[in-house]
This record gives sequence, structure tokens and C-alpha cells, in this order.
Amino acid sequence: MIREEAIKIPFQYAAGTAGSEFLINLRDHRQLTGSRCSDCERTLAPARAYCPDCGREGLHSVNIGPGAELVSWTIVPDKGVFALVRPDGADTAMLHKLLGPIDDPQPGIRLQVVFREERSGHINDIEGFAIVQENGE
Amino acid sequence: MRPVAIIGTGQTNHARCRDDVSQPELVREAASRALDDAGLQPADVDAVILSNMELFEGRALPELWVGEGAFANGKPCMKIATGGTSGTSSCIAGFHQAASGLFDIVLVVGFEKHSEGHTQTGMALTDPFWDRAVASGALGNFALSISQYMAERGVSEEQAARVAVKSRRNAARNPHAHLSDANATIEDVLNSRLLAYPIHLMDMCPQSDGAAAIVVASGDKARKLSAKPAWVKAAATRHEQPYIGDIEQRLLTMRTLRDASRSAYATAGITEPLKQLDLAEIYEPVTYAELAWYEILGFCAEGEAGHLIEAGVTGIDGELPVNPSGGVLSANPVGATGVIRVAEAAAQILGRAGAHQIEGAKTALATGYGVYAWADAVILGSAV
Repeated sequence: MIREEAIKIPFQYAAGTAGSEFLINLRDHRQLTGSRCSDCERTLAPARAYCPDCGREGLHSVNIGPGAELVSWTIVPDKGVFALVRPDGADTAMLHKLLGPIDDPQPGIRLQVVFREERSGHINDIEGFAIVQENGE
Repeated sequence: MRPVAIIGTGQTNHARCRDDVSQPELVREAASRALDDAGLQPADVDAVILSNMELFEGRALPELWVGEGAFANGKPCMKIATGGTSGTSSCIAGFHQAASGLFDIVLVVGFEKHSEGHTQTGMALTDPFWDRAVASGALGNFALSISQYMAERGVSEEQAARVAVKSRRNAARNPHAHLSDANATIEDVLNSRLLAYPIHLMDMCPQSDGAAAIVVASGDKARKLSAKPAWVKAAATRHEQPYIGDIEQRLLTMRTLRDASRSAYATAGITEPLKQLDLAEIYEPVTYAELAWYEILGFCAEGEAGHLIEAGVTGIDGELPVNPSGGVLSANPVGATGVIRVAEAAAQILGRAGAHQIEGAKTALATGYGVYAWADAVILGSAV
């Protein structure tokens, strides 16, 4: 005998101090926010309440982006291109979508963040990162 | 700390769907086989440790359901969950319980029945802000790291495919394996469905139903109960920050596995892994990871992994057979997978690995991988 059932799981997670700051700046100011750790001298993206590596608290918020660099990528059939992108001014990467057209992306190419017109304080207020065409091509 | 050893192992027949048994019955199948292998009765077990990733089955507190299947009634019993490392972490906890003097005989059982739940949903229930809303799951996590690995180390899709061929062919000697094919070819792998560039279906570990168990004994008990115990020479575990963007070159650096293995090597006196290890059962969730981790585990220099697989060094007849059982690519009941790595390594030392036995195996490495956030390394040997 096999019992079949589906469970719906509602949730309401608090984004926390740093996460809320990132999402509010994204929604209200089209601005990406990182956190500067003065101990390991790295700027983390997105903003953090504490440094994940050395543990330091009370990090200093800094603006990062809107330019960015491609770190790594994958193509998922029917779902698009996902990438790790390092916003300008940040030392770590963020996971997001790469916007087309995409022809043979290579690590290191230049990107630019694309914000949505309608924003609600969600990571997908960022539509994705678009490849910057060089020399105005 | 007292010396400890593994004196028995047991595995179910792993398969895509084991709907012939319930979860407790699946657990019982592995637990009974491990006790039989050790020549023990349920009453001989002092404590039980369970390993499972409960969200994959959509069932909270699985230990309330399956503990009795593992002979835990009336005994200390707990569950450990650290992603893919759950099984190796549970084995290490069992080693600690016996080494500390708390218990003499500890039964460790890992299980998963992926067919009963929705693994992708379980994987997606990770960080709700930065991961889940964009993309999450094992596949994307690996795929995102691989393009960088390929670019920096010159690894080819064909070299990765050789890992899958080795796995499927080795699995043909293992009656417990979920997927096996004695005639698997590189073309089979390259022609299998593209899941997420550059990962094809055969590059990726499956979702399996299965359970595995080991019997851990204190040194005194091990000497009495076993003619040839598999002694625990070293065990190390490391945790890492979880956000995928935080660590430069994740697949290449894999700090958790590098540090855990270096710590275990130092404890066990291993300075030349390729020469001193007789076999390794590593947790390779995807073909490219096995190649990357040859380098991280010190089997070869950086950038040499492709050559290692091409030259057959890690084949079942090679200098250092890696995953003679067929590995994770051939069977992956996640909560059991780490236990399988340790059980396979132990069975090799015990001389009971059957058709995939490495003759004269005296020193074996087993590893665990839990997303990028955990790694475990265990070294077993034929002498204390």
C-alpha cells in the first residue's frame, strides 16, 4: 500500500538587520549594499551582520555595484543562465541570473545590474545581470 | 581516548524505489545485516546513532519512526543531520562515543527513501533570502562551480565522463549498487541528457532508496569479537560558511575537505596518500568533483586530475582505486551515503568486500561531503 499526500509549508522568515538593510536599499534606492570587515579587509556581498569568516560583528555598510564581474556560470535548460557575479567594490560573489543574449560567457567579463521597475524588498527586485557590450557595440 | 574499530557492516540493496518496505523496515534490513556481520545480537548494542535528511521524505523526527528498526528501544538514540556528510558525521560520533568510554558497542545506521518525498523541495528549503528565491539545489550549486574549474585547470568533459564510466563499471561488481553497467562508455555519458552545463545526467549522482549500518566497538571488544577489525586511525570534520558567493573557487579550494583530510593524514601518519592508501571511498556527488578532489586530497598535483583518471591510476586495478564500490554516482540514499563510504572502506579492511575487494587492503580513506558547508575524512587501517 502506498499513501500519497502533499504538504503545504507556510513560512515567514526575518531577514535580520543586515539583510533588511540590503533589501530596503534595493527596493527604495536601487542600490546594492555590502558589508566591510575591517579585520579581514574584505567587502562581503550581500550585507552581513557579522563576518562569516572571522566572526567580527558591527560591520560597516558600503555601496557596491552597479557594475560587476562574471565569476562562474551555468546554463539550466528551460530556466536560463545562473551565475556567480562579483559586484564592483565587493570581494565576494552573489548568486543571480545572467540576462541574455549570452554567447560563450567567460569568467571576468563585465556585467551591469538590472533592477525591476516594481520592487518589493526581494532579491528578485534585481532582474539579473546583463553583459556590458564593449565599445558601444 | 580508547582505540575503536568497525567490526561489522550492512547495506540494503539500494534502488530508485524500495516501496517493498517501509522506512523502519529499510533501516532494519541494514541494521540486521550489520549485526549479523559482526556476530552480535540486538541486546549487545549499547547505543544507536541515526543519519537522515528528514526534509527529503517530508517527515519530521524520523528517529521517532525508525529508531525501533535500528534496535534503539530502551537505549540512547539520537539523529545527526549535516547534509551529505550526515552519514560520515554519524560514524565519527559513534567513534567518539566508543573512544570516550561512554559505550562499548555503537550501531550507526543511515537511511534515505528519496522515492517517498521530493528531494528538490528539500534542497530548495535552504536560505530563503539569497538562495531559494533565485536558484537552489545540488545541481546548480555544482554546475556554478564547474565552469570555473574547467577554465582554470583545463579539465575536459571527456575526462569527467571517465569518472562516470569507472563508477558504473565498478558498480557492476557491487550487488548493493543502484546503477551499474559493466559496458558503460564515455559516449554514453556525453550523450546522456544535459542537466545544467556542463553536467550530463550520468555525471550526477542519483537519488536512491537505501540504508547502511556499521557496528563500532571499543578496542577491547573489537579484539574479542573480530579476527580482523577495521581500526579507526583518524577522523576529522570541518564546517564552512554556507553562502555560495562567499568562497573564491569553491570546487578548487574546498577548504573543508582539504583541512579535514590534512588533519586526518597527520593523525594517521600519511604523507604520501597515493602510495600509502590502498583505496579510497570518496563522496563524489558529481564527476567533476571527484577530479577536483583528487587534487584537494593530495592524490596528485594541481591540474593533474585529468591525467590521473586517463592513466587509470584510480581504477579498480590502479595504484589507488577510488570508489571500487561504484561510489555515490552509483548509489545515493543521502542519509546513508556517508555511512556507505565508511562501511565500504571497513569492508575492504575486514576482507569482506566481495567482487570489488582490493586484495590486501590495509589502509583506506573514506570522505563525506555536505554541500560545501561540511566535509569529513576517516582513515581506517588493519592495525591499531
